[in-house]
Amino acid sequence: MFCPHCNALLCPPGGYFEIFGMEPRLEIAREDLERRFYQLSRQLHPDRFARRPAVERQYSLDAAAILNDAYRVLRDPARRAEYLLNEVPAAAGDRPPVPAELLEEIFEMNMAIESLRGGDQGARPQLAAAQERFLSMRREAGQALEELFDEFDRTHDDAVCSRIRLLLGRRRFIENLIRDVEKELAR
Amino acid sequence: MAYSDKVLDHYNNPRNAGSLDRNDPNVGTGMVGAPECGDVMKLQLKVNPESGVIEEARFKTFGCGSAIASSSLATEWLKGRTIEQALAIKNTDIVSELSLPPVKIHCSVLAEDAIRAAINDYKRKTAPGAEGR
Repeated sequence: MFCPHCNALLCPPGGYFEIFGMEPRLEIAREDLERRFYQLSRQLHPDRFARRPAVERQYSLDAAAILNDAYRVLRDPARRAEYLLNEVPAAAGDRPPVPAELLEEIFEMNMAIESLRGGDQGARPQLAAAQERFLSMRREAGQALEELFDEFDRTHDDAVCSRIRLLLGRRRFIENLIRDVEKELAR
Repeated sequence: MAYSDKVLDHYNNPRNAGSLDRNDPNVGTGMVGAPECGDVMKLQLKVNPESGVIEEARFKTFGCGSAIASSSLATEWLKGRTIEQALAIKNTDIVSELSLPPVKIHCSVLAEDAIRAAINDYKRKTAPGAEGR
């Protein structure tokens, strides 16, 4: 990111793995990422460029912004996988199927929310219990996801990739539910 | 986004909202969901065992107005049809009837999926040898 001759800051790369100087891989060491982040944050900090030419000052601002975005995404295994697999919200027709047992759970949760809104406080513990189950489902989906990372990095196998996408879809679904229930319980 | 009049009508006056006894051997239950938006749809139909005609249909949908309207319309269309005729209902029919915009097409897909899931459940229940399972 710096000119090897004059040490001027160059235009920062926009890619998240690139800015960290890392190979695009699903499995990365958290400590390594963190160490790189603090090191780069210091090197690229806009204060260090206060007396440099305007173009370098701008580059340092850009780089700091990209670095922060990149760190937020890459340190979260699910968001990292979404980024690397270029996961875009699924269009109608290629939606990952939601497991039937999860649907029942969601349906019951929605019924509880409806009763709660209708003034039936008895539905509250029911909803809190559902939230506990969703939180543990999110943990499980996250673990299942990470177990596939190494295999994907080694093989780039299509079947592994589809399984990862399926888990990502499931995890997003659960995420939405957790947010909904949180909002409801906070009322 | 503005909803079409027909969507609003189904949303404000849902047809056949509610549920049927899922343990009734003549009732098929379909439960489907969209992972992105978190919509869930339960659609049930009751088949007359003599005539093979769907005589009752019910739905309960948690989701946006278009999802509610799509399932409400689906139950309306199901009544009086045979299983084969019901399978002919396509999401595109729902889209044109309700004038759904492109971003809401997935709601009609969900309704079609729900019809199929309910019919599959009914067929599974009534398949030879299904008794007492």
